[in-house]
Amino acid sequence: MVQPVKAVVIVGGGTAGWLTAGIIAARYQSRMKAGGFSVTLIESPDIRIIGVGEGTWPTIRASLERIGVSETALFRECDAAFKQGGKFAGWTTGAADDAYYHPLMLPQGFAQLNLVPHWMHETRSQSFCDFVTPQGRLCDEGLAPKLITTAEYRGLANYSYHLDAGKFAPFLAKHCTDKLGVRHVLADVVQVNQSESGDIESVLTPQAGEISGDLFIDCSGFSALLMGKTLGVGLKDCSDVLFCDTALATQVPYEAPDAPMASQTISTAQEAGWIWDIGLPTRRGVGYVYSSRHSSEEAARETLGRYIGAQYANLSVRKIPIRSGYRETFWKNNCIAVGLAGGFLEPLESSAIVLVEISAKLIAETMPANREVMDIVAKRFNDVTLYRWGRIIDFLKLHYVLTKRTDTAFWRDNVDPATVPERLRELLKLWKYHPPWFFDEFDRLEEVFPAASYQYVLYGMGFESAITPEDTLDSQLLAARLRQENERLTQELRSRLPKNRELLNKIHAYGLQPV
Amino acid sequence: MTQIVPLNKETHRALVVDGRASAAYGDNRHFVRVIVKEFPQLLVHYPILFSKHPQTGELYCGAMLGFTEGENLFLEEWADRQFYRPLALQRGPFYSQGPDIAIDLDDPRVGAEGGKPLFTEQGQPTLYLQSIIWAFQDLNPGMEMTQLFITRLLELKLIEPVEVDLEFDDGSKRQCTGLYTINQEVLATLPDEVIVELFRRGYLRLIHYMIASLKQVQVLARKKNARF
Repeated sequence: MVQPVKAVVIVGGGTAGWLTAGIIAARYQSRMKAGGFSVTLIESPDIRIIGVGEGTWPTIRASLERIGVSETALFRECDAAFKQGGKFAGWTTGAADDAYYHPLMLPQGFAQLNLVPHWMHETRSQSFCDFVTPQGRLCDEGLAPKLITTAEYRGLANYSYHLDAGKFAPFLAKHCTDKLGVRHVLADVVQVNQSESGDIESVLTPQAGEISGDLFIDCSGFSALLMGKTLGVGLKDCSDVLFCDTALATQVPYEAPDAPMASQTISTAQEAGWIWDIGLPTRRGVGYVYSSRHSSEEAARETLGRYIGAQYANLSVRKIPIRSGYRETFWKNNCIAVGLAGGFLEPLESSAIVLVEISAKLIAETMPANREVMDIVAKRFNDVTLYRWGRIIDFLKLHYVLTKRTDTAFWRDNVDPATVPERLRELLKLWKYHPPWFFDEFDRLEEVFPAASYQYVLYGMGFESAITPEDTLDSQLLAARLRQENERLTQELRSRLPKNRELLNKIHAYGLQPV
Repeated sequence: MTQIVPLNKETHRALVVDGRASAAYGDNRHFVRVIVKEFPQLLVHYPILFSKHPQTGELYCGAMLGFTEGENLFLEEWADRQFYRPLALQRGPFYSQGPDIAIDLDDPRVGAEGGKPLFTEQGQPTLYLQSIIWAFQDLNPGMEMTQLFITRLLELKLIEPVEVDLEFDDGSKRQCTGLYTINQEVLATLPDEVIVELFRRGYLRLIHYMIASLKQVQVLARKKNARF
């Protein structure tokens, strides 16, 4: 007998749970209204305050638009701000002027031409970032990526958000339950009932009784209630590649309510890790991510204090363990792990939320019609998700492996080839002669980090690719045109865009229009 | 400088104001804010579109009078009062202060040569002032009614951006951005009960006026071409 998939049950009510619920429910609204499909989210009533600022990737705009929330409401209710990329300070040499951008805009004409050889061949009077995109300069000048007249979710420059995750989950919850028909159950899962095949049939809660489903999504965070505890899927540790295992997080108030606010995540390298600095409208989120094998907690606190300055004495600091790793399997039987239940990595490139989005989207788009075809869908899901985790780890490691710092054991250990994944080692070898680009390697649909991201980090950190100067001759005219276009666009945006905080204040006062 | 004071029939008894349209008086505008009540008069000459306030992003309805900043192709028709002139310009140097009318004494129209008196010798409002009073009786509630109309259209996703691309006889090209109009595809798929609601509220008529007025873009372009 064919057993249709009609009831999706999500366990866990954090960002991962609600984002997944929203993306799936938005995709199946017609079926849900006809009564042939349901999405239930079970959330423990003991609400855990997260409160750490979170970075996102520009995909979040399309995700939120599809879910149907208003961007104005997001800014107003989630303490959200614009993010235009990352600024990495001190990662290459540790010198005072050592910094580069990983902006969110693609290099000018990225699909037409690889500008890396042209940049290498020229005098390099400009950074690679400035050579190919306006966005680094927009960040330097504290400009917003759009105007008050730009419609919701549209931008003149590409952007994502910095937001308060503690407010984001309830914000999504309200929309999912009010508008999308997601059933919200406040209850604790105390028992998981499985069939002989190992499939999860139902979960038992003291508050709401037994809740059965056809497909279960584990968004229960580190505890991995279904995937770990019930189905026994282990975590693959990757602390041999990414050393940071502890974070010290705090919130720093602005000195004045109208103080300038950065629209880039500032990541500053330290002796045994790096410090994030995220500007939200009401405060900055600052934290030190470090390797406890390379630094004592006391030394780490001192480092954080030095970064923050005089205000540090009055702040409370939370210690958060980071267990870098991911599930050996993400979809087993009729259960899928999404979010922290699937794995966790240091927040260097804000990969957590984007991975939730693309996982949820993949689940929604490939939702198995019945149990009989589920294992086929699951296999594909596992292949692509495993690939994604691998690529994210490679990309994070890239930031460390290109360093020229030798001042501490942390940086010296990071360049040890034994700690570099095989695939990344091979790519680094290739990139010495072939700068990465659109066509090679990163060919997957919905690659988390496109080749452009690799370009920004590689050439931001002074990586050398041997190029054949003659090869640039054929495309010289196009390159010149793209450079001109980049300069024109830079001037235009600099003259039109308002300051980051000025626009946020206007959004709070007037809102953005939906068109 | 501005010097806005409440209008007073004693102190302003002898004041004259030039109510005629002129570039010198600020009629050289290519897009001017209008209210829904004006749509029937506007439709026969001007494209009626939406635009956004540059400082707040708020959508408003406007009549298009030209293609570039400061270009009003209707100044001649306005000078001899052939064509309807939007209330926002008819009001001249006058403002409303609660229920009262105020005037900007520093406005160049005030005391200008050829101006018309505001009061009769007996202290009664002249026809000119009466027309200003009527304009404000329409304008004040009209602004709010127009915003309600726009809010409902936004809720129904009935507003979409429109790009006006034109090539003139002198070879120049002009792309007008930041303009919005009715999304006719969405309009065609609205459920019956919403169509009835729009009809009862008088919105369906306004929607069709806006759609019909799009034809005036070509008329406007021809008018500009005729000047080369």
